[in-house]
Amino acid sequence: MADIALPTNPDAADAVWHAAGNEASLTLSGHFNAHTLGNGLWTRTRTAQTSWLGDSGTGKGLTIDLAQVSYLDGAGIAFLIDLQHAQETAGGQLVIHNLDQRYAPLIAQYQPINNLFPVPDSDHHDTKSTLIRVGQATEATVEDARNQIVFIGKLASALGWAARNPRQVRWNDFINVAVEAGVAALPIISLVAFLIGVILAFQSAIGLKQFGAETFVANLVSLSIFRELGPLMTAILFAGRSSAAFAAEIGTMTVNNEVDALVTGGIDPIRFLVLPRLLAGLLVAPILSIFSDLIGIFAASLTMLAYQVPFVTFYEAVLKTIHVNDIMSGLTKSLLFGLIVAGVGCLRGMQTGTGAAAVGLSATRAVVTSLILIVMVDGIFAYISYKTGF
Amino acid sequence: MAQTPVSATNPTSPEEIIQVKNLTVGYGSNIVLKDLNFSVKRGEIFVILGGSGCGKSSLLKNMIGLYDPPTGAVLIEGKDIVTAEGAERQEILTRFGVMYQQGALFGSMTLLENVRLFLEEYTDLTPDEMSLISRCKLDLVGLLPFESFMPSEISGGMQKRAAIARAMALDPDILFLDEPSAGLDPITSAELDQTILSISRNLGITFVVVTHELPSIFSIADRVIMLDKETKGIIAEGKPQWLRDNSEIPLVRQFFNRDAHAPVATPESQTPSTAH
Repeated sequence: MADIALPTNPDAADAVWHAAGNEASLTLSGHFNAHTLGNGLWTRTRTAQTSWLGDSGTGKGLTIDLAQVSYLDGAGIAFLIDLQHAQETAGGQLVIHNLDQRYAPLIAQYQPINNLFPVPDSDHHDTKSTLIRVGQATEATVEDARNQIVFIGKLASALGWAARNPRQVRWNDFINVAVEAGVAALPIISLVAFLIGVILAFQSAIGLKQFGAETFVANLVSLSIFRELGPLMTAILFAGRSSAAFAAEIGTMTVNNEVDALVTGGIDPIRFLVLPRLLAGLLVAPILSIFSDLIGIFAASLTMLAYQVPFVTFYEAVLKTIHVNDIMSGLTKSLLFGLIVAGVGCLRGMQTGTGAAAVGLSATRAVVTSLILIVMVDGIFAYISYKTGF
Repeated sequence: MAQTPVSATNPTSPEEIIQVKNLTVGYGSNIVLKDLNFSVKRGEIFVILGGSGCGKSSLLKNMIGLYDPPTGAVLIEGKDIVTAEGAERQEILTRFGVMYQQGALFGSMTLLENVRLFLEEYTDLTPDEMSLISRCKLDLVGLLPFESFMPSEISGGMQKRAAIARAMALDPDILFLDEPSAGLDPITSAELDQTILSISRNLGITFVVVTHELPSIFSIADRVIMLDKETKGIIAEGKPQWLRDNSEIPLVRQFFNRDAHAPVATPESQTPSTAH
């Protein structure tokens, strides 16, 4: 057997493997913990043992000498258990010599070691077939749609209740939510609406200038903004800010059992938590939409100054183009979008599972569902407008 | 055989593994505890107790480096966690494990993954080697059959035991436990006490436990210090049984005897009064 040089570093460990026929010896020395074993020592030793054991370990004996071991912690014990398991599985024997008595209870407490094995695969593989996964996804989607419909019913009922009992609505919460979702959103709405107005005017002017029709930019931009872009863009921003916020807030309350406390206290969480947010969404979305329309038109008129179209000309064109119908169409859409964003945010919050990750997931789902529904409703609305002229 | 002086498995060593020197706990003008001086010996189960709001958990958070105290030092194996930075602080942090009051298991990971996480971060072991070590830890706290469960799928007591297994992942010399028995039924609480005792006796790990559960204190504590809200300091130190029977301070006897009708008095004001 090779001579062993004791490690000079007190935090180092060494293992000397010596095999001759059916007998092998392993001499360990130094400080055995998760760090020293992690330098490949564990893996190298196990590889040597595996190749020595070969196809059958019957009749093969491994002797481990711990005389030079200065320290052995839980990781070191796990290392010895791993060697023992490999030896016993192959049909061989293992003898440990010079084990300090203070470590004996540590090894003894894991005996028999069989229940520690097999070590599960560290990579989780989903063993379900594609067919099963498609089926489960479909079931989840149908269930989700059903939940949304049920929730819409509960919202309608809550709105009816609020109309009958206006004094019992939590108006303080409503104001707080309206301020947070509305007033606090003005800067970002202004910025985005302004930039959209500028971009839209520029892009339209570039195209129309080829026909000498820059003066019609006002007609084009004002119609686009009032009927489509204003409400849609506001709804997207509203979904990003407030739908996620509602979901996270109610989701955290769900995780902390606050929603359960409402239910067991006889308070309907829909009326207590959802209704104020829903009403705030219904109020705030159209106002924000009008605000963004005006900022967008203003930005477009500023842009058109660069094309020598004066303010007055621009505004006259806007006033001639935009009718009450266009404004009402945009407002109606905004109302629906507000309903969707607030409702979906609250629904996802109420559906939150357990744990911190569930809250994050709810916020994400709230935004994604809101955006999908907004685009779908916008499409349906465009079709209705086309058919009815509204 | 050569013995390493800092061996974690030597419960008889009288070495002071934690020294708290002139520690003030609090922030700004809100000082909860002041000029604390005490030490924890290697291998013992040391309990910090006191009434609600006396600053037990805040003291613990100062001892594990979560809060920076206004003044004072907390030496863990001779190194001050208050002033340590960078690699030195990281080194100190690997010397102890913490079980938080609610377990604080990572909700998106299974129990095995929770325990494995610190091994993955700090060692170069292979996945199988890390899993085996983690399984050993879960076996120690009796949770091996639940290794693939998510924290939300197991009971509160099991979550706390899993949190202990996670805290032990890197075989630390010290385990800090914040209210291990809080919210548990007596049987689960007693089982947790047995787990703590077994780990302490078999592995020689030093425990610093914050609790005010009397049965748990009498069952596990080698030594206690009792904090007091009024004096903002330590009013008693010693073995709990001795303090219960022999302490000259009424508040201490009242605490250990769970007596609401006993006269309440602090060391400064020994005037008896009746608490209701």
